[in-house]
Amino acid sequence: MTRFIRKAAAIVLAIAFMAAPALALDRAAIVAQACGGPGSMTEAAAALTAGVATASKDDAAWAATLSGAAIERTLKCGSPPVIAAPAGARDAATLAPATSADGTSPLLSLKNRPLFETARAAATLFSGVTQGERGAALSALERRAGSLPPELFEKAADAETDVGLKERILGVGQAALLNSPDVSKRISAIERISVSADRRSLTQVAGLKTDPAYATDQAFKAAVDAGVASIERRLQISNALNTLYNGLSFASILFMASAGLAIIFGLMGVINLAQGEFIMIGAYVTYAVQEVLRAAAPDLLDWYLIVAIPIVFLATAGVGVFLEATLVRRLYTRPLMTLLATWAVSLLIVNLVRVGVGTQNLQFVTPSWMSGGHLLMGDFIVTWNRLFAIVFAAATLVLTWVVLKRTPLGLNIRAVTQNRAMAGCLGIATRRVDMMAFGLGSGLAGLAGLALCPIYNVNPQMGSNFIVDSFMVVVLGGVGTLAGTVIASLGVGQINVLIEPLYGAVAAKVIVLLMIIAFLQWRPDGLFAVKGRRK
Amino acid sequence: MTDKAHILSRAFEDRIFVGVAAAVALAAVVVALFPGLSGYRVNIAGQLACFALLALSLDLIWGYAGILSLGHGLFFAIGGYVIGMHLLEHAVATTGVTPDIVQFMGWKALPDWWGPLESFPVALVAALGVSFAVAFVFGWVSFRSRVGGVYFAIITQALVYVAMLLMFRNDTGFGGNNGMTGFQTIFGAPFQTPGVAKGLAATSLLVLFAALVACRLLMIGRFGRLLVATRDDETRLRSLGYETLRLKLGVWCLSAVLAAIAGLLYVPQVGIINPRVLSPELSLEIAVWCAIGGRGRLAGAVIGAVLVNAIKFSLSATMPELWPFVLAGLVILVALIFPNGLLDIGRWRPTWISRPDVLQPGDAKP
Repeated sequence: MTRFIRKAAAIVLAIAFMAAPALALDRAAIVAQACGGPGSMTEAAAALTAGVATASKDDAAWAATLSGAAIERTLKCGSPPVIAAPAGARDAATLAPATSADGTSPLLSLKNRPLFETARAAATLFSGVTQGERGAALSALERRAGSLPPELFEKAADAETDVGLKERILGVGQAALLNSPDVSKRISAIERISVSADRRSLTQVAGLKTDPAYATDQAFKAAVDAGVASIERRLQISNALNTLYNGLSFASILFMASAGLAIIFGLMGVINLAQGEFIMIGAYVTYAVQEVLRAAAPDLLDWYLIVAIPIVFLATAGVGVFLEATLVRRLYTRPLMTLLATWAVSLLIVNLVRVGVGTQNLQFVTPSWMSGGHLLMGDFIVTWNRLFAIVFAAATLVLTWVVLKRTPLGLNIRAVTQNRAMAGCLGIATRRVDMMAFGLGSGLAGLAGLALCPIYNVNPQMGSNFIVDSFMVVVLGGVGTLAGTVIASLGVGQINVLIEPLYGAVAAKVIVLLMIIAFLQWRPDGLFAVKGRRK
Repeated sequence: MTDKAHILSRAFEDRIFVGVAAAVALAAVVVALFPGLSGYRVNIAGQLACFALLALSLDLIWGYAGILSLGHGLFFAIGGYVIGMHLLEHAVATTGVTPDIVQFMGWKALPDWWGPLESFPVALVAALGVSFAVAFVFGWVSFRSRVGGVYFAIITQALVYVAMLLMFRNDTGFGGNNGMTGFQTIFGAPFQTPGVAKGLAATSLLVLFAALVACRLLMIGRFGRLLVATRDDETRLRSLGYETLRLKLGVWCLSAVLAAIAGLLYVPQVGIINPRVLSPELSLEIAVWCAIGGRGRLAGAVIGAVLVNAIKFSLSATMPELWPFVLAGLVILVALIFPNGLLDIGRWRPTWISRPDVLQPGDAKP
């Protein structure tokens, strides 16, 4: 089918260039051709397409009407041929009101239909009244740009008043230039297209390898090969960027989930197995905020993620403080028992949510400012929802750093982490510091849940998907430094995303685990462990 | 001679242990000889014995050496998968019926390399050998770099999690999501034969009894005392000239092999093995059994496993949705009020806050 269309297009082209010198459209002749057999109809379509570039605006409008009539079978080939319409028939050549509306409609063959559609679109591009009409026509032409005379787009761009549309027309025109009869123009078109590389231009340029000139013209062949190579290289870069970007967003979530774990572990030597459930609680609180806003202040619904930030942090931090005061505090000298106790808490939370809210995935509104993305290069799209997670994690990182390094609480946390007994002697209320740090860590996990809402499924089980990965981050990064957590989450996130497309998600997890075990041979206390005597 | 007599007399010092061991032996006799028991009860008794053995294996490493493994389900699964492969091969050899696994895996027949497992001794050696080898490599790598405490716990958890993900894949070649099922015969006898369930349950109970006695003898001897010393102060033991790596590695491998035996006995009784036994939740539950029963006394592990699973069995028949709440409540209760599980009940005093400065057996120091 495509070969067939291409052949037909070649015929159109050939005829178009023969007809190019004609300045005005010979309306009567074209109408006669349109009323002829399939062969002469092809010629009519070609003449229309070729003629609109040099025709007057009036002629272009006529061409659009005629090709539309041919497509919709309202062209009646009586004598004289007329175009039937509900408002009354009009003469096919002059568009003056006509009396009779007799005659049969010529049958549009499968081969001719796309040709007339192209002719209509080309004519509408010149004669369309609204910008929307012309834009739609351009979209229709875009797919067949390769088979159209390049002058068409140059002229259309000259005539175009809207700046955005003009830009688009020029872009499509470049694709059309690929088929210009002038080889040097073709080569420069290839070079220009190769710069703005995406998958479609790759198909366009690579398609030229079947062009007769590819076999005969050395310069053309070299240009096509260079163009394909350059586009492929850019596509590879954009793919790599895509992977990096996904890895970065995954790493951001991991960082927020594990920063709290690492702080708590460094301070108290305790791993909170319920950290995943704090993520889940964060996501559920976000949902609650969304629903409250929907009911109370629909205008603010678009900003529910922002409104939820302080609420989520305070809510999860509150749950964390409660857990610390009632359970974890009583188990400080028994870290392994704490593992089991916090696991029991996670079991409790998951089942409470299951019974209370249900097991189904929660539905989140995508805020208008977060849908879509920006096409940066090639296929690489910076999607706003992932960018939100990344920026959010970066902001969290900065804030956590400020809290740890520039506030009295941070000073106390660092002091107790380094030497609990000495810090206690100097008058620091170590138990209070523990409680605050536990709250801080839980709040961070809740924020991770908030950032997850626009990207992942939110259900009672969601915490367990992150927990093993965030443990690995803590083991890899070591405790006591934020830098270790940041680098470890970047590493684990990127490796996961890098290996996944090659060997699958499971292999990614296996390889990450093996690498971490191997890594611990070299640095048993993690990347940034404080140097000191081995315990 | 006197030394041996001393050990034997000490073995009977712990009355709770003697009581538990006697109860296990009695249960084995009752299951084997008492005809009035329903098949369901016999099966439950056999399963409980396997869980108790699994808990016992974890108690060796956690209660005595102070190393918590949250991945013991891995070794349990190794035993279970090997015996599953044996039973499938055996079914083909005795009945000639092609098992379902061949169909849903898209095979023509069972893989050739499973062939030797048709012989039970080979399967037994394979199960023990593989679990030993995995434990040895992982343990050597971890203990050599002195990974311990919470680090070791979460790395073993990651290990079992990754193993579960692997086994869930069909490409891994062990039945994927469906696992292995449809076992027909064991030692040539069809599973429906009345004696088979009884025999399996009684064997499990006997193995549990033997393991209890053997571990008790081992733990009150030199090896056990060195382990306790490692748990309580590894640095001091090292400076006294003991190589703790060897001690830890030894008990770790022993524990893994015991867990594999538990899996070996468990799978024929439930008739299925699938990757769900590798879920981190199950491995955590094993630790919960030990914690509830009490660590470092062998009997506690058996009591905990039997108690928790008995509650689980009875609840899952009537109100399965209640079970997670009961389990979580039990764990929190034990953690807060009975620091060393139910064995503490006798010593318990009604202070609402347990004394955090008293180290309990099995707790790595902070």
